[in-house]
Amino acid sequence: MSQFSGPEIKHTLRKLEFPVCSKEALLKIGQLTCGRVPSIKHMDLALDLMAEFIFHEVDRRGNKRTLPLTTMQEIQLVEVLYDYFNSVNNDTARNSVFLSLFSGTTAIIRSGILSKLVSMAIGIPSHFILISASTLMQQLGNTSPNSYRLANALVKDYFVLMPNSSKQLHLVPRLAPQFASNFLTAVADIYFADVKKGPLIFPPATLLETITDWVSENTQLCVAAQQTQSALPPGAIAMEATTPFAGLLKWCILAPIYRQTSEIYGKLHLGLIENMLEIPHSNPPRAIFAQHLIISIGNICRYAVDLQNRSRKSDPTERQKMFLEDTALHLCLDRFAQAIQIALSVNCVYGNIGDMINQLKQLPFNKLMAIVINSYKNKT
Amino acid sequence: MLPQATGLRNLSQQNLLQELRLFIGGTSKTIKCNSLELTKTALSLLKQLPPCREAVFEYFHVVFDNATLNYVTRLEKEIATGQMPPASEDDETTISEIHSVLCNFISTNAEAWAPIISTWSLELLGELSTRYAGRAHVSTGVNETLQLWMSCISTRTLIDVTTQCLSCLMNSDTEACISALLDTSVKHSPNFDWVVAHVGSCFPNTVITRVLSCGLKDFCQNKSYEQGCDSPKLKSVVGILGHLAGGHCNDIRTALLDLFNWSHKHMLFQDDSTKSQKKATVPFLLQLAYLSPTLFSTICKDIKKTLTLDVIVELYNYTDDWCKYFGSSESLQTLLVNLILKCDVGAVQIINLLMDCIQTDKLATDDECVKRNIRDTSREILELVLHEVDSAVRVQSQQNESVHILQCFVREILDVHELLLSPDKVKYQTAAQIVTFVGHTNPYLLINSITFLFENSKTDEQLVLIVKILFNELIDKTLQPYADKKGHFAMVLEQVLSKVNTRINLAKEIEDDIDSMLVWKNLLILLQWEKGEVFLLKSKIISRAIHANFISLTRLFRSEKLPSSTLHVFAELFEIFGIPSHVDHESYRIPIKALLDCSIAVVKYFFVCCNEQDEIVKHNGWRRVRTILKRLCLHSKAVRVLTLRELLEKSLYTKNSVLFGAKNTKLEKNVEFDKSVLEQNKRMSKTIPLTKHSSVFNGGIIGTGKRMPATHEALSQDVVAENTDQLLNTIKACCATLTEADAKVLDVSLDNVTLVSLLLVQFVSPDVMYNGLPWPEEEFAKVTIERDLYIRRLFNNNPVMWELLSFIAVYRPTLCYCSVLLRALTATLIHQWNSMGNQSKSTDTGNYNSLMDTTVKVLDVMALGQLLPPPLSGIRDVILYLKNSEIVQILRNCVWNYMRDNVPSPALFTCDSAGVYWRDPSHSKPLEMYTSTLRLIMQKNIKTVGQSYCQMFVIMPHSN
Repeated sequence: MSQFSGPEIKHTLRKLEFPVCSKEALLKIGQLTCGRVPSIKHMDLALDLMAEFIFHEVDRRGNKRTLPLTTMQEIQLVEVLYDYFNSVNNDTARNSVFLSLFSGTTAIIRSGILSKLVSMAIGIPSHFILISASTLMQQLGNTSPNSYRLANALVKDYFVLMPNSSKQLHLVPRLAPQFASNFLTAVADIYFADVKKGPLIFPPATLLETITDWVSENTQLCVAAQQTQSALPPGAIAMEATTPFAGLLKWCILAPIYRQTSEIYGKLHLGLIENMLEIPHSNPPRAIFAQHLIISIGNICRYAVDLQNRSRKSDPTERQKMFLEDTALHLCLDRFAQAIQIALSVNCVYGNIGDMINQLKQLPFNKLMAIVINSYKNKT
Repeated sequence: MLPQATGLRNLSQQNLLQELRLFIGGTSKTIKCNSLELTKTALSLLKQLPPCREAVFEYFHVVFDNATLNYVTRLEKEIATGQMPPASEDDETTISEIHSVLCNFISTNAEAWAPIISTWSLELLGELSTRYAGRAHVSTGVNETLQLWMSCISTRTLIDVTTQCLSCLMNSDTEACISALLDTSVKHSPNFDWVVAHVGSCFPNTVITRVLSCGLKDFCQNKSYEQGCDSPKLKSVVGILGHLAGGHCNDIRTALLDLFNWSHKHMLFQDDSTKSQKKATVPFLLQLAYLSPTLFSTICKDIKKTLTLDVIVELYNYTDDWCKYFGSSESLQTLLVNLILKCDVGAVQIINLLMDCIQTDKLATDDECVKRNIRDTSREILELVLHEVDSAVRVQSQQNESVHILQCFVREILDVHELLLSPDKVKYQTAAQIVTFVGHTNPYLLINSITFLFENSKTDEQLVLIVKILFNELIDKTLQPYADKKGHFAMVLEQVLSKVNTRINLAKEIEDDIDSMLVWKNLLILLQWEKGEVFLLKSKIISRAIHANFISLTRLFRSEKLPSSTLHVFAELFEIFGIPSHVDHESYRIPIKALLDCSIAVVKYFFVCCNEQDEIVKHNGWRRVRTILKRLCLHSKAVRVLTLRELLEKSLYTKNSVLFGAKNTKLEKNVEFDKSVLEQNKRMSKTIPLTKHSSVFNGGIIGTGKRMPATHEALSQDVVAENTDQLLNTIKACCATLTEADAKVLDVSLDNVTLVSLLLVQFVSPDVMYNGLPWPEEEFAKVTIERDLYIRRLFNNNPVMWELLSFIAVYRPTLCYCSVLLRALTATLIHQWNSMGNQSKSTDTGNYNSLMDTTVKVLDVMALGQLLPPPLSGIRDVILYLKNSEIVQILRNCVWNYMRDNVPSPALFTCDSAGVYWRDPSHSKPLEMYTSTLRLIMQKNIKTVGQSYCQMFVIMPHSN
């Protein structure tokens, strides 16, 4: 075990120039973390090496460095990381290095490098890195701030700045469906999100198109993350992946009342429903959480109130009539009802379904929704 | 799934990975690679591999830096050797490559790329301009720097890219853009200014508005004045706006005004930051104004419209905050005063505004306390400003360029003039003060201002102002125009006169020139004050001025185009002016031309008075005419001759003659009867033999009845009498003289009346021959009959002739010189009585009466002039009762023969001890041969003329 003596390794590495030192450090970290019995001492050393030789956050005395890496150095580092992860075939080993590099207390500082790395892995397709990234997202929670940040960076890179990069994007679900699934869950939370400050933001057209394509081409994409077990380092607890269903359905449901009339939403809705139909049966159901499904009720009710305020009609029958005449509202409620109906029929909803149905009753009247609610009541 | 992807994967993956490796190797110098290749790789990465973006931009940073360095080095070489090495082609192709890719990004996906690119390019521009600031050129001004950098390909490209980005973002994310611009500007000031200037001139509106709002926000952060002064952002704002001021002055003004208007507009909902921004706006603007003269003048330009009294009342609520900000109200005041003193434009507006504030009744508030505060503060500021200007004027008498406000006053002197006429005391007094400040070194402006005031003042206060300005201690009386002419006022008068003259020369007809009327009235008032011993006017500045301009004044007075109202004023003026005075001739020498002009003008004025409707004005006028003429005639003999000549000629031969009872025959001729016998005869003699009879006769034309006597619209007897009376009085005034001994004024001198009588002969008698005193044989009258008739007609037409003769007759022996007139009249009378035959009063009453009337008048005059001694002087009483033939006999035997044998010459008269000339009747008793005819005829008619006979022949001789 003499090869793992901390000061010695550091001494050797310090003789090397950047980026060679990073390369060497990675190898060492790999050895340290993937040992059969990873000791705490080894882990500490690995973390030290990361901070000093990979991310250059501290200098040799452990003090914080004032000068961060230049962007040029960053891209060199990203290349080193890319090469390294791309060369590790063992999922568990790779994941454990990946997780230790990008999770934990330093995750936020390193998120820039992570985003670049994942982005690179999409640009120059790398199955391994995407799988590891997917695992990372899943372990941190794919709606967590870290995942959110990663998703945002990726959206900016490939959908905002390069709207024409469909070639690379089309590869992603095939290359790493579980990554795509986790990415979708994270992305779904960015848009139509009920943020306290500022107005709702809507997904860019290319993002919407790409997602629709992904979903309709691969009917099992949405549950991909749940279907594959991530290879985790020993002792780690696997986290359940959240499916993108609830988040993406929310887009389709809310789109009409926010005047997002693009047909794409319809297509996406169809794709999602087809995906739901393909959800493999499981007992207990675990694909969609009931409370996630009804998250859009608040927005719909607010819309109804606005409508009412604008017309200033107090007569209840008039109000009813007005709601009936509002096509946007009905498209929204129709989509909602369809989604609930399918979800209930394939029996993939978990959580308090009764409460969900009760909540749905608050919505303005819609024929389809009424049927859905009634049929559920009859069933029970 | 994986194997499917591999094919695709391999291809793109391998390429991209290779490119990435090449790029990393190339930039870290581990792989040799030429820069163009490397750039192409970088661009390809930029297009396909987004995570490399930042690195690529960093690489571009280096590329641009190198290109700039090359450029600067070349420039330096050029300076050193005089030759510019050729530009590297590599640089150019590399950069244009990058440029086209970036442009493509911006044009296809502006929203996403513009912020990234603009941030990068701004930062890079800032760095480059700072790094190479001191090299290859000496930065003297923004324009030169701009020139320099625009010829460098790298910076030019960057600027182009930046403006493209900004133009894309301007609509969506303006605030962020400008903020970035400002931040960079702060960081790299002043080397970055050229970028801001360039960008600013591309989007003046947005940049200006945003720059202001950014500046304001930054300004709000500072708690106190000192802090605010040092804020680098504020300086940067000032710098940028200063650059833009040249080309976009209007935009800047609009932006400033908008900001200001926004600041005092009430809004229902405003959060704390808006509130504090609003509070800070005015101090911010003041600060800007203080830092940049250009902005200051922009603000001042239209201050009147912006800063109304209502706005001031609104702003009152903010003043406490301002004072707090500046530390104390005094420091705010000092700043304000300093600003006002530095004012380059609109100074008058500012002063005016202050004065408006002093008049609290104009303020739109009911709160007395507010009013009082505003008033006191305004007054204080105004006084401070005026005091400062005053001391500045006194201290540096020659070079007061440093006091901007003075220059501004000079430029806006027209506005100052307006203030001079203001009804408010504060305003006109302040304006007067300003005029004296300005006039201290610039007397011509002073003269201009006084001229303006003089031409326009309608109240006594304004005239007082003229006097006060003229005698202000600040007015330098040693300077050129004052010393040359007779004081400033002379110059003023000169200007006014030349203006009026031009106006009058341009005018076609007489028109009521209200403007110049005002001038004369004002002059009159001033002169009255001077004569009234007003203390300030003791130096007789007004009189001196009038005297200096006497020639032009009189010329103007003489002008035919003046309306009567003006003439009245003129007359009063000349009357009061009292020149020439016989008492002190020597004080001023008056050119004879002016005097002649004056006399002609006054004579003209006399007739104007005769036509005047208003009785009082008329009489005053006549009085003035007499006074002035008397003075003139006493002064110069030439003037007297001219005046009398004018008076006589005008009253006899112009249309003025109607005023004195003349028949205006020429004016009203009946067209139908306008056929003369002479004309007819001439035509006949040419064409037709004498046998053909003419139908036109003296008495009328056959077929149209008898020729109607011409009808005249005569003036009423009273008016004629009055006019005649005044004419005589005036002539009399002209005949005044001075006694040689004690220079006292005598009413009439005989010499002068002689002059009148000679003039009369000259005018009335058309002939130069036989105008002597002696009467020839009666037979000789046949020779002169034509002339006699002419004279007779003149007398008939102009009744005033009789009055003139009577006047002359009174002053014996001057009537002698009119002998020829009397002779002509008598000759025609004898002739007429003769031709009357036995017709008597009963047959042709009209003719008879007028003949009798004329006869009586002639005899009357001769008796009055003592040309006919008693008893011949009594003939006039007798002939009324006599027959025609008897009258002829008397006229012929008694009058004519007597006159023929006793030549009517002054020698017949003797001067008594009192200096009165007369003819003693006892010495000049006519011989029997002249009286016997009369006596016989009277005896024959003793029934009717007994009384007269007694007096003429019985009492008279006995009295001896």
